[in-house]
Amino acid sequence: MFNFFSPTNIFLALSKVQKFINSIFFPILIVSLVFALILSPADHIQGDAMRIMYVHVPSAWLGLACFSAITVLSISAFIFKIKNFFYINKSLAPIGLFFTFLAIVTGSLWGEPTWGTWWVWDARLTSMMVLMFFYIIYILCFKLIKKEQLLLKISSLIAILGAINLPIIKYSVDWWTTLHQPASIKFGVSNSIHSSMMLPLLSMLLVLLLYGALIFLMKYKTEIIRIKKKNIKRL
Amino acid sequence: MISNLILMNGYGVFVWSSFGIVLISGFILYLRTKKTLDKYEKEFLLELESLSEAKKKHVLENSKIANKILVENSKTN
Repeated sequence: MFNFFSPTNIFLALSKVQKFINSIFFPILIVSLVFALILSPADHIQGDAMRIMYVHVPSAWLGLACFSAITVLSISAFIFKIKNFFYINKSLAPIGLFFTFLAIVTGSLWGEPTWGTWWVWDARLTSMMVLMFFYIIYILCFKLIKKEQLLLKISSLIAILGAINLPIIKYSVDWWTTLHQPASIKFGVSNSIHSSMMLPLLSMLLVLLLYGALIFLMKYKTEIIRIKKKNIKRL
Repeated sequence: MISNLILMNGYGVFVWSSFGIVLISGFILYLRTKKTLDKYEKEFLLELESLSEAKKKHVLENSKIANKILVENSKTN
C-alpha cells in the first residue's frame, strides 16, 4: 500500500491532474468572481463589505487545512517511516503560509469598515498570527537545518506543537469574548448563511483549492526533481 | 451601475483591495513557483545530457520521472 506514496507514483499522478486543473481553473475563477462581486446580495447589516468574506473565509480554512495535513503527515511519516511525506509537507507549508497571510490581510481589510480598526489582539486574530509564525518557523527549519535526521525530528516537533494551536483557533470565538464573530457555517448543523451567499463562498473555496493544488503540484515536482538531480550527480 | 460596482456604497476600496491582493499575490506566487520549477527542470536535463550514453540510458530506463521530464520538455521546445 505504501508503494502508492512513492515519489514516482505521486509525480506521475499529479502530472495528469495538473493538465485538468489548468483547463478548468480560469472559467471557474471568472464565474466565482462574478458571483462574489456582482450577483450575490449585499448583507443587510454589513453591506458590500461582507463580500470580503468570499476571499477571507476560504483563505483561513485552507490555511488551517494545510497545517492539519502537515501535522497528520508528520506523525504518519514518523510512525510508518515514509520519507516522502516530508517532501509533501515541505511543498505544502508555503501554500499554507500564503493562505494564512491572505486570511490575516483580508481580515484586517474587513475589520476596518466593520469594527473600526485594522487589528485587535483578540483570541481569533492572535491565534491566526501564531499559526503564521509556526508556518514561518517550519519553512525556516527546512532552509536552515542540513542534517536530514535532525530536520525530520525538528520539523515533526514544530508540526505537533503547532497543531495544539488549531483547536484554539477554531474554538477561540466560543471560549472567549472576541470581536471576531462566531462561526456562521457549521457542518451538520443549520447554517446562519443564506444559499445566495453560500454558493459564491463554496465557489471561491473551490477556486482557492484548485490554485493551492496547482502550486503544490509545481512545488512538489521541483522537490522531486531536486532529489533526482542529486541522484544523477552520484552516478 | 458601473460606479455602484466600483464604489460599493463606500466599501469599494476595502472589497477591491482584498480581491486585488489575493489575485496579485496569487499571480506572483504562481510565477515564482513556475520559474523555480523551470529552472530545476533545465538543470536536471543539463545534468542528464552531461552523462555518458550508457549512464543516460540507465537513468532513462530506471526513472519514469526522468522520462516524463524529458518528454514534457521536448514538447515545449
